[in-house]
Amino acid sequence: MTVFDVMYRSLIFIVVLFVVTKILGKKHISQLSFFEYITGITLGDIAGEVILGEDMHIMHGVAGILVFSAISYISDILTLKSRKFRAVIEGRDTVFIQDGKIREKGLKKEKYTIEDLAALLRDKGVFEIKDVEYAILEPKGKLSVLLKKENQPLTAKDLNLFLPNEKEPQTIIMDGQVIYEALAKTGKNIQWVKTELKKLGTTIDQVFFAQVNTYGDLSADLYDDQTKPSHPNERQLLLALIKRTQAELEMLSYQTQEAENKQIFTQNADKMKVIQQNIEPYLRA
Amino acid sequence: MTELNEIKKTLAAIKGIEAQLSIFALSSREEEAQIALHEAMVQAGQIKHDIQKRIYALERNKTS
Repeated sequence: MTVFDVMYRSLIFIVVLFVVTKILGKKHISQLSFFEYITGITLGDIAGEVILGEDMHIMHGVAGILVFSAISYISDILTLKSRKFRAVIEGRDTVFIQDGKIREKGLKKEKYTIEDLAALLRDKGVFEIKDVEYAILEPKGKLSVLLKKENQPLTAKDLNLFLPNEKEPQTIIMDGQVIYEALAKTGKNIQWVKTELKKLGTTIDQVFFAQVNTYGDLSADLYDDQTKPSHPNERQLLLALIKRTQAELEMLSYQTQEAENKQIFTQNADKMKVIQQNIEPYLRA
Repeated sequence: MTELNEIKKTLAAIKGIEAQLSIFALSSREEEAQIALHEAMVQAGQIKHDIQKRIYALERNKTS
């Protein structure tokens, strides 16, 4: 067996494995079930053996890989169709903690000691078992933990706080190149990008990376790390302007002598206040 | 500064707010934000009209 033998065998198996992994898809990378885990290891092992094993026939290796991936592919399709089959192939989850109490039976079934459970919980940042409401061992062997409500992180919803929803930011410039696909999603055009960059005092070819957020604010990172583009927060400026104008309207209502004028200014000051309250969440974000 | 001048200054600020709200309403991708900002723009427009009318009235009184 010569070096060239190893080389051309390697090339063949790189191609075969590449094609097989593309067909099997992303699910196999995440190795959700034990079966996928084994398939992954075996495919690599067969390829390795055949590449370096002198007496191995290439076609035997390819056949092994094909059989394994074909069965894996078929089982993928069957698990989509049948829930029973899914339980057999992917396995069931095991409850470890329910209603805040440890289920010793579940631990015994999966042969986990209490130390193992404590270690898995610590891995999730939970150091006291009494904080846990529910914990379940997923088929993949990962522990999922539901903390008791009082131990869960505080959310805006808990505080009854209204936070406007935001869309995913779009990356419109990478390496000084405009990504037109992303730009189209933001509903802007190249002219707008140029104008916005001009405001920041730069041009497209000097920008390494730029994103547009929900509100159409553009933020840019330049190649030159010495110059820092200023990102004026126009939305917060507008909020300040609204507040100031509202105060001015109130002031006018105090200053004026005529009753009619006074009434109109007071009314409009109130209207401005309403505007401010309505859009403050959007301008603050 | 006379009262009329001060009112005019405030009117200019309101016009600026209306325009800026319009820009933000158009450049937002989130529908909720678009609606809220657009409504705010319309309301700012109403305030603008009210103040504008006041200015006309004051100017007319002055000349007469």
